[in-house]
Amino acid sequence: MSPANVKVTHGATRAGRARHLLLALRSVLVSVAGIVAVVLIWSLVGRLLAHPSLLPSPVAVLGALRVLLAGEIGADILASIVHLAAGYSIGVVIGLLLAVLCARFENLDVFIEPVIEVLRPISAIAWIPIALLMFGVSESVPIFLIAYAATFPIFVNTLDGVRRLDRLLLNAARSLGASGNFIVTHVVIPGALPYVLTGARLSLGVAWMAMVAGELVGGDAGLGWRIMWYQEFFAMDKVMAIILVIGVLGFVADAALRGLQRRLLGWNPVES
Amino acid sequence: MTDSILKIQAVRKTYVSVRTGDTIEALAGIDLEVPAGEFLAVVGPSGCGKSTLLSLVAGFTQPSAGEVLYRGQRVTGAGPERGVMFQDYALFPWRTVLGNIEFGPLARGVALTQRHARARELIRLVGLDGFENRYPHELSGGMRQRCALARMLANDPEIWLMDEPLAAVDQQTRTILQDELLRLWGDAARRPGAPTVIFVTHAIDEAVLLADRVVVLARRPGRIKAVIDIPLPRPRPAQRGSPQFAALVAQVWDLIRDEAAKAIVEEIDR
Ligand SMILES: Nc1ncnc2c1ncn2[C@@H]1O[C@H](COP(=O)(O)OP(=O)(O)O)[C@@H](O)[C@H]1O
Ligand SMILES: [Mg+2]
Repeated sequence: MSPANVKVTHGATRAGRARHLLLALRSVLVSVAGIVAVVLIWSLVGRLLAHPSLLPSPVAVLGALRVLLAGEIGADILASIVHLAAGYSIGVVIGLLLAVLCARFENLDVFIEPVIEVLRPISAIAWIPIALLMFGVSESVPIFLIAYAATFPIFVNTLDGVRRLDRLLLNAARSLGASGNFIVTHVVIPGALPYVLTGARLSLGVAWMAMVAGELVGGDAGLGWRIMWYQEFFAMDKVMAIILVIGVLGFVADAALRGLQRRLLGWNPVES
Repeated sequence: MTDSILKIQAVRKTYVSVRTGDTIEALAGIDLEVPAGEFLAVVGPSGCGKSTLLSLVAGFTQPSAGEVLYRGQRVTGAGPERGVMFQDYALFPWRTVLGNIEFGPLARGVALTQRHARARELIRLVGLDGFENRYPHELSGGMRQRCALARMLANDPEIWLMDEPLAAVDQQTRTILQDELLRLWGDAARRPGAPTVIFVTHAIDEAVLLADRVVVLARRPGRIKAVIDIPLPRPRPAQRGSPQFAALVAQVWDLIRDEAAKAIVEEIDR
């Protein structure tokens, strides 16, 4: 309120930022330590217990990774991204659409929600045999599985977000002269956005897993398919290298969505 | 009264508790007419139905019996001619101060330049210069309240429905905003077409200072206990501390004291 008051807030923010930075640094160090520990245990276990061709050493895997990155893995990554983009878009659109319909029409809600609740706990992987029969070994299998997996989290979270919309805010909008579509675009959507984005991130997580599984058994291209391909040649170092690539790419994709979340939800004290 | 802008006729409002199934009689048989341009204050202990009364006029909820007539028309929903300032602000958390203030004009299709000009004017008026790009969670309670006031005013509503609008500000800011509110409403010189105000407050001195009439509500069930004319001359800020003002405050306080005591006892019992 008073200028003095404001300065205090700013000062507190600067001190807070410094503390924030320290905390971030510490968490990075802890993360690095965690990775180092895993690598150490990995090479130890590999040396003591398993045959090197079964569990190749970290160094061997890094070597394989260098070979892969220089060669054909680009095509596999691209194929996986295409699968993911297609399946994830389909799943997210269906999930969003169903959620909006359920929120809008209560009769539909009574019909759709039980169906969703029955399907939701069934893992996408359980549909692999049926997907294989329906589509044959093709890109359609991973795309179908990804879409299936991605539909539920975004549906559940969006519906939750729309239902939690503050009555007070809707009343405020109406008394300010807003109605119909304007309320949807200027109150319902921004109000539900935090929930939608949380749903989108959860959907991406399960979609990523469905992608690997679908390509592994039903695809004809992509990172998952390439794992099987090298497994048949017993090239475990390559298999491990691809697993590493899958992990890193998944992390990057989630980080991208996290960034989007931060950008879009700057107003939200909980998210920022 | 022929030029009443608002008529509340035999209005009852009963809520049914979803949890227990009990019915709560929030308002029982309210009759009230408000002439255009009047500044009406509503006082009463908490839970006596003040917010419910405003909700009915705003059109957020419908009476269980009776009628609310605005300009002779039955109120069936909310509209921009009836501006509302909510008890807990109800600012849009995803819009900045500026974005909140221009929400009404935006919804009504006012052009960008006009919208901005008006919003900037109001920002200056309520003393939020320099904060136009802050989000509500970055503001103090008092600043949120002023933002909510500016948002309501941006639509130039015919009637201002204000629910404890100055409850969260400190005494000094409160005095300034009271004077500002009076000035905006037309305390010194009543223009034709000046806004009508229904101002809910729990502060009796505030009600007496601002209003032409003070409605005292009683609770369980919510009903009108008294309507008191405030014949103090305007402009009002000069009346703070006058003996007449003090006498009127005492008069209203006498009426409300029993109710307030009852309310406190009930709070303790619960
Ligand atoms: N939506 C609601 N559902 C059930 N009871 C309500 C609702 N709104 C208000 N009430 C009840 O109605 C009575 C009057 O409430 P309210 O109008 O908010 O009073 P005030 O604003 O004077 O404090 C209270 O007993 C309150 O609990
Ligand atoms: Mg209230």
